[in-house]
Amino acid sequence: MPDPSTDRIATAPSRGIDEPVCRVEDLTVDFETADGLVRALRGVSLEIGRGEILALVGESGSGKTVLSSCLLGLPPASLKTTVGGSVVVAGVDMVNGSDADRRVARRQTIGAVFQDPLTSLDPMMRIGDQVAERGATRARATAALEDCGVPEPGMRLRQWPHQLSGGLRQRVSIAAAITAGSSTPRRGPGVDTAQASAGDGVPALLIADEPTTALDVRVQAQIIALFARLRDEHGCSIVLVTHDLGVAAQIADRIAVMSAGELCEVGSTEQILRDPQHEYTKSLLAARIDINRMPVSITERSRVVAERRDDDALRLEGISKHYPKAGGRRGEIFTAVDDVSLTVPAGGSVALVGESGCGKSTLLRIAAGLTKADSGGVHVAPGSGRPQLVFQDAGSSLTPWFSIGQGIEERLRVQGVSRREAPDRARELLAQVGLDARAAGARPRALSGGQRQRAAIARALASDPRILLCDEPVSALDASHASRVLDLLDELRASLGIALLMVTHDLAVARRISDETAVMYGGRIIERSASEQLFAEPREDYTRQLIAASPSVY
Amino acid sequence: MVRAVAVRLASLVGVLLLLAIAVFLIQRLLPADPVRAVLGRNASPDEIAARRSELGFDDPLPVQLVRFLGDLLSGDLGTSLRTRSPVSADIAAYLPATLELVFVATVIALLGGLIVGVLSARGGWLSGVIRVVTAAGASAPSFLLAILGILLLYRQLGLFPAGGRSSDLLATSTPTGFLLVDRLLAGDPAGWLDALHHVLLPAFVLAVGSTVAIARVLRGSLRSVDSLDFVRSARAKGFTALQVTTRHTLRNSLNPALSMTGLQVGMLLSGAVVVETVFSWPGIGAYLSASIGFSDLPAIVGVVLVLGVAYVVINFVVDMLQLVVDPRLRSA
Repeated sequence: MPDPSTDRIATAPSRGIDEPVCRVEDLTVDFETADGLVRALRGVSLEIGRGEILALVGESGSGKTVLSSCLLGLPPASLKTTVGGSVVVAGVDMVNGSDADRRVARRQTIGAVFQDPLTSLDPMMRIGDQVAERGATRARATAALEDCGVPEPGMRLRQWPHQLSGGLRQRVSIAAAITAGSSTPRRGPGVDTAQASAGDGVPALLIADEPTTALDVRVQAQIIALFARLRDEHGCSIVLVTHDLGVAAQIADRIAVMSAGELCEVGSTEQILRDPQHEYTKSLLAARIDINRMPVSITERSRVVAERRDDDALRLEGISKHYPKAGGRRGEIFTAVDDVSLTVPAGGSVALVGESGCGKSTLLRIAAGLTKADSGGVHVAPGSGRPQLVFQDAGSSLTPWFSIGQGIEERLRVQGVSRREAPDRARELLAQVGLDARAAGARPRALSGGQRQRAAIARALASDPRILLCDEPVSALDASHASRVLDLLDELRASLGIALLMVTHDLAVARRISDETAVMYGGRIIERSASEQLFAEPREDYTRQLIAASPSVY
Repeated sequence: MVRAVAVRLASLVGVLLLLAIAVFLIQRLLPADPVRAVLGRNASPDEIAARRSELGFDDPLPVQLVRFLGDLLSGDLGTSLRTRSPVSADIAAYLPATLELVFVATVIALLGGLIVGVLSARGGWLSGVIRVVTAAGASAPSFLLAILGILLLYRQLGLFPAGGRSSDLLATSTPTGFLLVDRLLAGDPAGWLDALHHVLLPAFVLAVGSTVAIARVLRGSLRSVDSLDFVRSARAKGFTALQVTTRHTLRNSLNPALSMTGLQVGMLLSGAVVVETVFSWPGIGAYLSASIGFSDLPAIVGVVLVLGVAYVVINFVVDMLQLVVDPRLRSA
């Protein structure tokens, strides 16, 4: 492992060269589960320097979240946990220190931001009370909100979380995280006061666990810029936990790559991205679906499919959908979809991209027949069967007490397949999506996210549909699984001639999978063209913004 | 906020109207003939027919319904066949004692439910012990608990009186009819304590089942809220477990427990019939069971209506409390 301190100096010579804010030494965490001891962290050692942003990158189960919760001194409490080694933050040992010492450190020295801004604020406490909860004054809370780019901060103090958008709520979470308790009057027994604060009551260490994963790309870019400002203006050290090397590339000074509870590689962002040493880092980079780099096969595919598009598998004509405005007066309506027409050629693939609330999922549900449009028509080519849906979260779309095989057999039986033939046919379908016969007997919980999504696709194929409608099918998956699921969808398109209509917020996914991409904004399709053209020469300013905000390692 | 209250108020009126109509229909569908009950076994058919038309039983059903609703609005519940006095006067005499008992029981159930719920949600050995004890308490029928309570706490230990509202058997309660309120108004602390002493054991027996129900709902709610992100945020801010519970977890867990409390008040009102009998509590439960034995239809209908109204009103209060607790409900 390269010496972290020299790396930091090499990348950010202007920032602190004194004592690190946090020193992790030989940290080991074991969980006692029903299946025995599980080692979540295996002897992790790491230093976080003053005023640096360290990205902690890895796939799910790599231990990055366990490590970040140990930095807070709050190892997961749901299981019986044994922690060895030490984590020292500003002079307090967050593993072996007393409860009181660790609480004081959390109050004064550490701030934490979590993934989902919709759930990480208390819905029943006013914004101002949450930001000032650690004993800050009203003025200080207002200043923190302003600092985090919340418009009209004084008025926000009286508002409740549900009155704010997701992006604003995440800014409020960050404002609450950087409003530490005063360090002088209530000085804790073990806290090294000189180290506790980065200045202005901003905690010395900010731990952000996937802080932008639930946000739209443009908001994500703003939050990332906010982190950079906290580092540059307040000298705050930030640990950014993320599954996405692209996000790390945008902001981190250093990147630490984790896998299976171990630290594979730590180095400057430049070095990790350009000259990765560890095999795992290389595989992460290779698997990443990046908007600026497509596998060679993609360009070929577009040509193959172009020859087929003589008839349409699915035609949406003049679709509109209105809802009563949430929290609005009687009669006020919200137009979710506004006179949208769209065709999906047989065997073709169309991606609908846009930010949350743009109407893309409503349109997909209308195409699937799950929601009724207020006006317009859905035309499915004769003999195509009912379009089948694949959802984002395969975990909750599969019945938990059915085995995978049973779930598929149930669908087959509805199609009129006999009880005797159904199990064999189910196994064929599973083979088609790359799952073996063992998966047929497993329950959804026993499978990985990628396997579950494959099973969901196999179930969708049970009725032999000509059209698959996919709602963010890979958003919940790690990069390696995501690209393989996309490959699978592509294969199904080639071998079975199935047309795809896919909703995604991720432009890289759209570029990777679709012949055509349609950009939705405010319920309308504002731009639509062949994917290669759209990404190379976006016509609309909005499309350009989306593309520019998409994280990339290139 | 105004709209949220208005919506609930409108539904309150609707539910009360439906309740009145349902009671009216049940009354007409029952095989018991109220005229025959008034006139006795030996009345001649002519007499019965004359009385029927006099009482309006020959009118079309909708006409009878409108008259019934009109009488209700003017507070006229008819005349009791058993006591020969207006049902409204009888209820006014007996209801305060029952409401007092149910009110004390509700307070016990709510406080007990909160304490037991919070303690059992924390895990550890205490939580296990509490769950076993409360499960046993909840599965015992209330009359059994009442008898056990009297045997143990009155006969063996002499800690509580065996029955009645007060040591002074002839004590009347004016002006409100609520002994605890009246004696406070009269500036009689010793009498107030005596009344409290009398109400505690029956109220406790009545409240046991509801306490457990509320505690279980609260426990489940606390545990699911406890795994939410904002609780983790609160811990990350460096608060103690107790601070996190009181500042965040509890308020977020309160609404399911409040819903359960509203439902349980209905159980308490009907459970009062049994408990009042065992503790010779001069409430509406005793009045109701006597009326049932006598097929005193006007009295039964009156009591059912009044209990129904109490139940609906209490659940309206619960709705309002939930609006106070959860700001998100106010915009709906």
